[in-house]
Amino acid sequence: MKARKREERGTAKATRETYVFRLFVAGDESNSSQARRNLTRICEEHLKGHHKIDIVDVLKDAAAAHKNNVVVTPTLILVKPLPKVIVLGNLNDSKQVLAALRLTGDER
Amino acid sequence: MSSQKPPYRELETRMKEAEELFHALRTQQVDAIVGERHIMVVRLKQAEENLKNSRNELRALAAHLLSARENERAVIARELHDEFGQALTSLHLGLAWISRKLTPGQRPLEEKVKSLSTITTSLIRSVKDIASELRPGVLDELGLVKTLKSEAREFEGHTGIQCRFKTNAAKAKFDRSAAVAIFRIVQATLTNVARHAHASRARIALIKRKNGLILTVTDNGKGISRKLIHEHDSLGITGMRERAVALGGTFTLAGSGSKGTILTVQIPLSRVIIGTSR
Repeated sequence: MKARKREERGTAKATRETYVFRLFVAGDESNSSQARRNLTRICEEHLKGHHKIDIVDVLKDAAAAHKNNVVVTPTLILVKPLPKVIVLGNLNDSKQVLAALRLTGDER
Repeated sequence: MSSQKPPYRELETRMKEAEELFHALRTQQVDAIVGERHIMVVRLKQAEENLKNSRNELRALAAHLLSARENERAVIARELHDEFGQALTSLHLGLAWISRKLTPGQRPLEEKVKSLSTITTSLIRSVKDIASELRPGVLDELGLVKTLKSEAREFEGHTGIQCRFKTNAAKAKFDRSAAVAIFRIVQATLTNVARHAHASRARIALIKRKNGLILTVTDNGKGISRKLIHEHDSLGITGMRERAVALGGTFTLAGSGSKGTILTVQIPLSRVIIGTSR
């Protein structure tokens, strides 16, 4: 597991791939707003200039939620690079979120 | 958090997703649930916050009511003592004066004056007792420890239930409102002991420890059921709990048939002791 993470971190850093996120939120509800802010901060700190965030408000676009099998908001999907990762919740726990997004130790 | 897995790990992935979903719901990180036809916005966090605020408001209101009641009691006690007590004393003195002026031939009148004088004496005692019950003057004059000692003695005298008081805080100086609260808790507990416990013995302890002042009142009676402790109409118990909580303390009441009832109140020292008297 550790070896795999090291390998993945190395890959992300070396290639400077663009990270594509899709964040499903429910309007300006509290957790959704927090998730938005947390994701922006994480991208600024760890992926400056190498990220794209697509915000989907499920209250306006429920079809997109259905299409992506989103059952609750906030839901963050790391679309690229593969493998796809899904993170639920307000993203307040940075340590866990970074680990899930394979960004641990990958400081800019 | 999960990632796409080969098909043979599908089940494991699903279970992990379910765990994450459960975690997100349990930690109130979910804003909306996306259904087939509807999207349900859930505001658990906000609801909990509102509930917490309501509870705090109720607590503050309860503390204010308790304080207002004590002030009101103090005013009524003073009025009773100063106005009614004085008038009765004047009446008593007047009757004594009339009694002295009566001639031996006015025996029926003398009898009547004597009877009225006895009633007046009894009324003066009643007024004193009621005023003392409303606002124990002894609490202001002698302090909490001596008042509790006196309360234990009086309780034993009235009820025949042996009552002992012990403390290691005899020299402590108590905050006035905290002293009133502790006294009222003891008073209410002893009333419950007399009314419901069928006890033959009660013990009051006021112990100063590093982590706070601990008041315990125990008896050897029939105990108290958990249901009764938590019943909303147990106003006496609710009142005691609110007094303890208003001082930043905790209140517990427990009891069983074999052990009697144990009341424990723990209050931070900073809220209750303001110094040491010599």
